[in-house]
Amino acid sequence: MSHARSAWWVNALIYAVLCVGACISIFPYLISILTSLKPANEVYAGHLFPSHVDFKNYLEVWTSVPFGRYLLNTLFVSVVIVLGQLIFGSLAAYAFARMRFMGRNVLFMIYLSTLMVPNIVTLIPLFILMKDLGWINSYAALIAPTVLSTPVGIFLLRQFFLGIPGDIEEAARIDGAGVVRIFLQIILPLSRPILATLAIITFVTSWNNFLWPLIVTNTDQYKVVSLGIASFQLQYGAEWNELMAAATIALLPLIILFILFQKQIIRSIQLTGLK
Amino acid sequence: MSFDTKMLSTRMPREKIKKSKLTSQGITPYLFVFPSFVGVLLFMLIPAIAVLVISLLHWNLLSSPSFAGLSNYTKVFHDPTALHSMLITVYYVLLNIPLQTVLAIILALLLNRRLPGMAIFRALFVIPWLAMPVAVGVVWQWILQPTGMLDSLLQVLHLPQIDWLGTQHWALPAVAMVNIWQWTGYNMLFFLAGLQGIPAYLYEAAELDGASPIRKFFTITLPLLRPTLLFVLITSVIGSFQVFDTVYVMTQGGPGQATNVYNFYIFQEGFQFFHMGFASALSVILFVVILLVTLLQFAYFRNRTTYDLS
Repeated sequence: MSHARSAWWVNALIYAVLCVGACISIFPYLISILTSLKPANEVYAGHLFPSHVDFKNYLEVWTSVPFGRYLLNTLFVSVVIVLGQLIFGSLAAYAFARMRFMGRNVLFMIYLSTLMVPNIVTLIPLFILMKDLGWINSYAALIAPTVLSTPVGIFLLRQFFLGIPGDIEEAARIDGAGVVRIFLQIILPLSRPILATLAIITFVTSWNNFLWPLIVTNTDQYKVVSLGIASFQLQYGAEWNELMAAATIALLPLIILFILFQKQIIRSIQLTGLK
Repeated sequence: MSFDTKMLSTRMPREKIKKSKLTSQGITPYLFVFPSFVGVLLFMLIPAIAVLVISLLHWNLLSSPSFAGLSNYTKVFHDPTALHSMLITVYYVLLNIPLQTVLAIILALLLNRRLPGMAIFRALFVIPWLAMPVAVGVVWQWILQPTGMLDSLLQVLHLPQIDWLGTQHWALPAVAMVNIWQWTGYNMLFFLAGLQGIPAYLYEAAELDGASPIRKFFTITLPLLRPTLLFVLITSVIGSFQVFDTVYVMTQGGPGQATNVYNFYIFQEGFQFFHMGFASALSVILFVVILLVTLLQFAYFRNRTTYDLS
């Protein structure tokens, strides 16, 4: 677009609006960090910054509830789900994109139809299933529903696989490569961007997940961070500086991830919206 | 917003591979599909059918279930709380979607001007999307506290202070504001990608014809953003209907019933009172409502003019 000729004041106005927006975007993060560094007597003092940096609140959070355990649980559950989605999702997506087998189209339509059912609708039967399996308070309950891949992930990967020129595989086949080798040595390496997309979005979703862990776990041994925050709030709701320390611990890992993989993450989000 | 509804609007591309290039590989395709099929069957298909069955039962998990016919549904329709929850959830969706979508389009238009530093702003706007709703709900609760950060700001500006989360009137808009904070930048990314896909020659032609910026926006930009708009609206409406986490930590449905949104009501009925049949009936009704709203949006957008640039 030809915007280069905009007057200087137009550009100044644009920057002003964007700066306000950016401030609002990071404002809660700043408040969380700044409050978490304040001693108790400064919380209501009305100053934005603490008089001195004090990590006591973090220590308090860490020792009064097993927050380290919550973090490890969340990390473990998220990583296992991401790995499962990558492995099982790409297997299924490749079969749907490139293989011919009886019932393929019907099966794919069934997968797609599940996209219309919001999570909340299946929550009660899923809870009863977990209860009957004896999985309440277990990693299995946290991991099982999404680790075998989800239709949405399969759909995302399938779209990408369809875009890979068939000639590449054809050439490999003529050279005598079997389907498993073609999948592992040609398709997967070519699909790194979309696999990264699936990994990032699955990780973020899983890290932040709350309702499902709330329903299937209630002991410290299996609690994830989101649940830890909610129960910490219940116990120490008035200790805002400690509560903000807990929130900061929950928020920071994804921010660090974002700083490291910023471009990749932004592209990942945009890829999920492509036709 | 949940990830699993994100692909609703994406069309299946025409199968480009000729049949001959697909090879029959005996049992291999089934082995490839098998793990995902177990997942879909056990954790999606069977639960989706089971919720219909359970909605026809009286069941509190302690005693064995008994057949209830449609009584759970008639109970829902005569339950003032269910009606109230549905209405305030619709109100919440209406508070969210227009503001969030318009803001996202405006931000995308500004970022699309390719001035220096735009990549930094784009990144900063996406950061709220990463925030754990439970954690950020707690942070916003602190900001919105009486004598909290927002009140101090309003005091400086000599504006009236409000107990945002403690007032019936303001609690739901306050929760909606957190949601807008979280999702505007995320939706902006889709509009930005959509804007970058609009060919520049259209604007050049319009400029030759002397079209004003506003006219260009309504005759070129907006019509060509329509597929993106449909995608963003459908996914964010579905997501807004299912708000839960922020309500759970910020208000617990209160004050009174002011933020007792539909999902929170399902949660209470199902997992605090263990009314499995009743909560299932509530879930089924929510599914029907979301489906209808989604179909309505599709129908509305189908009837609008679109340009075929291919």
